[in-house]
Amino acid sequence: MAELVGVFAAGHAPLIARDWDQIPEARRTPLAAAYDELGRRLKAARPDIVVEIAPDHWVNFFLDNLPSVCIGVGEEHDGPPEPFMIKAYPHHTLPGHAAFGRHLLETALAHDFEPAFSHRLRLDHGFCIPLWRMKLDPPPAIVPLIVNDIEAPMPSIARCAAWGHLLRRAIETYPENLRVAVLASGGLSHSVGEPTMGRIYEDFDHECIALFASGEEKTLIDFLTDGIPRAGNGADEIRNWVVAHTAAGGKGFELISYLPVPEVYVGCGFASWNVA
Amino acid sequence: MASDYWLSKLMIDLLQPETAAAYNADRDAVLAKYKLKPELRSAIVADDVAGLAPHVNAYLLRFHFQRLGWKDADFIAALRALKPETAHG
Repeated sequence: MAELVGVFAAGHAPLIARDWDQIPEARRTPLAAAYDELGRRLKAARPDIVVEIAPDHWVNFFLDNLPSVCIGVGEEHDGPPEPFMIKAYPHHTLPGHAAFGRHLLETALAHDFEPAFSHRLRLDHGFCIPLWRMKLDPPPAIVPLIVNDIEAPMPSIARCAAWGHLLRRAIETYPENLRVAVLASGGLSHSVGEPTMGRIYEDFDHECIALFASGEEKTLIDFLTDGIPRAGNGADEIRNWVVAHTAAGGKGFELISYLPVPEVYVGCGFASWNVA
Repeated sequence: MASDYWLSKLMIDLLQPETAAAYNADRDAVLAKYKLKPELRSAIVADDVAGLAPHVNAYLLRFHFQRLGWKDADFIAALRALKPETAHG
């Protein structure tokens, strides 16, 4: 059976790739260090695959067809299409893991979840900025789990928590030996393309972090359900952290770093959950 | 407020260089392919952030004005003029 060997989370922002050198050194250095530390921990966990939970920034889906959750079940996926990402992380393709993707999909369907699935996804900056900055090169095998964090209506926080439990169940029931890491990409608070653009809600982020650390699921769900709508539209990506949180199984949480970075408009959080 | 389909469709299509080139060459011909409400057609032609924001996804709005070459400071200033409750998340 597969083994959960690590659960991590990191923020992302296009400007981290596009304007990395423009970020003042006082913030660029700790930002780089946080990604480095997360990368070090992920590599030390020696995963065979990484289930990466991220939003889709309009590169795979549109209003014609916009799944709440989509699992990548392909043998490989396309690399980031954004020009600024092609320079930073020049991978035309990234390996997938069809067998685990299919198992996750079938486990979901067997438990009354109805995700979309895709045999080939484009993995945009949301997926690839953490991979790039964590120095995961060559890329690990990725099973993408796209959560709609972008366009309302979105999955409830409670449902995202249920997805994390389901992901854990899928890992525990996978019949082959496989070391699985989980990486959530996105958040914490930020605001893009709306009147509050650029605002970072540090108090909200700190409260969020405290609740991830406390591990109390119901309190976390209630807080996020109430608070995310007031913490900028980018805070919707904290859904991905919730999936990671419940997948980890409540064995403890460690904040690696919290860095509000106004130059990239994001309250960047970096975290690792205990799995042993 | 729900996203307006045709405005959103226009904005995402304009992210493709060939559609943007066609738009620059003959704007009216491209706009004729989209069933835009008159006020949204006017807003897109005028690069009217306030007129567009309530009707389109905030990320698509940002991508659109980035494509047009707007500086973030100008885009944010235009957004600030909106009341938060009228914007589209």
